[in-house]
Amino acid sequence: MKANSPTLPPIPARTGPGRPKKRSGPVPAWGLKLGGLLTTFGVFVSSFGYANAHLYVTNAPLQPAMVAAVATTGTTAATTSTATAAPSTATTTTTTLTSAVRTTTQPAVTVTKKS
Amino acid sequence: MDLFFWEIARASGLAAYAALCISVLSGLAPRTQALSFLANNRAVRALHDWTPWIVIPAALVHVVALLLDATARIGILDVFVPFLTSYGQLAIGLGTISLDLLIIVLVTTWMRRRFSNNAWQWWHRVSYLGFVTMFLHAMLSGTDLTSPVISVLSWASGIGIAYYALERLGKALNPSRIRA
Repeated sequence: MKANSPTLPPIPARTGPGRPKKRSGPVPAWGLKLGGLLTTFGVFVSSFGYANAHLYVTNAPLQPAMVAAVATTGTTAATTSTATAAPSTATTTTTTLTSAVRTTTQPAVTVTKKS
Repeated sequence: MDLFFWEIARASGLAAYAALCISVLSGLAPRTQALSFLANNRAVRALHDWTPWIVIPAALVHVVALLLDATARIGILDVFVPFLTSYGQLAIGLGTISLDLLIIVLVTTWMRRRFSNNAWQWWHRVSYLGFVTMFLHAMLSGTDLTSPVISVLSWASGIGIAYYALERLGKALNPSRIRA
C-alpha cells in the first residue's frame, strides 16, 4: 500500500540526524609530539627559573629542615634589621627587639583614630 | 650545589606533572574529542603512545634530584615505599604512590600482549588513580604552587582532565548515546 504523504527528499548525510561528523584539526602526529616535548621542556625551564629566583619559600606547604632553618635565619635577620615586630608566619620563633633597634625621630606616617 | 638539585627537583616535578597531564589528556581525547580542534584521533593516539618518552625522564629527574639533594632528605626506600619519611608523610607518600602506579601502568602497557584486552584496560585505568595521587601530591607538597600563576595553571589542567574523565565515564556507562 502506497503512503498518501508526499515523498520527502532524501536528507543529506551531513545535516541529517545523529552525530554530526566533526572536523579534526590539521596538526600531524609529529607536531603534537613536538608540542608535548616543548611544553614539558618549557615548564621545566620556566620552573627552574622561578625556583632559582625563589629559593626559600616561607609559605610552602612542606618545610624541609634546611630550607626552614635558612628561612628562619633570613626572616629573623630581616626582622632585626628593619625593626619590624611582625612575627614570621613560617616559623614559631618569637622576634625580640634588641638594643640595636631605636625609636625614630621622624614624624609618624600612620594615624591612630581615637574614639 | 645542594640547592641546585633542590631547584632541579622542584622544576622537574612540575615538568612531570605537565607531561602526565599531556599523557592523560591524549588518552582521553579519542573518546571525548578533547583535542579534536588540534588533530585527528590517529595523531592524538600516536601522541599518547609516545608520552612515556616525556613522562619517564621528567619523573626520573625529579626522583634522582630529590635523592641527591640534602634539602628534602628523601631516601631510596622512600621512593618506592610510601609514608616512611620523617616529615610530610601524607604529602610525600602520595607522590610515592603515584610513582608506583606510574610504574605499574607503564609495565602493564609494555606487557600488553600478555593480557587480554579487558584485563589490560583495567590495569590501564589505574592511571586515573595515579593522576589523582600525583595531583594531591603536587597540591600538598609543591613548593612552587604557592605562586598564583603556577597554582592557577595546575588547577586548570587538573580540572580540565577531571571534566574529560567524567565525560569519558559518562559515555562508558551510557554507551547508547554514542551509538545514537
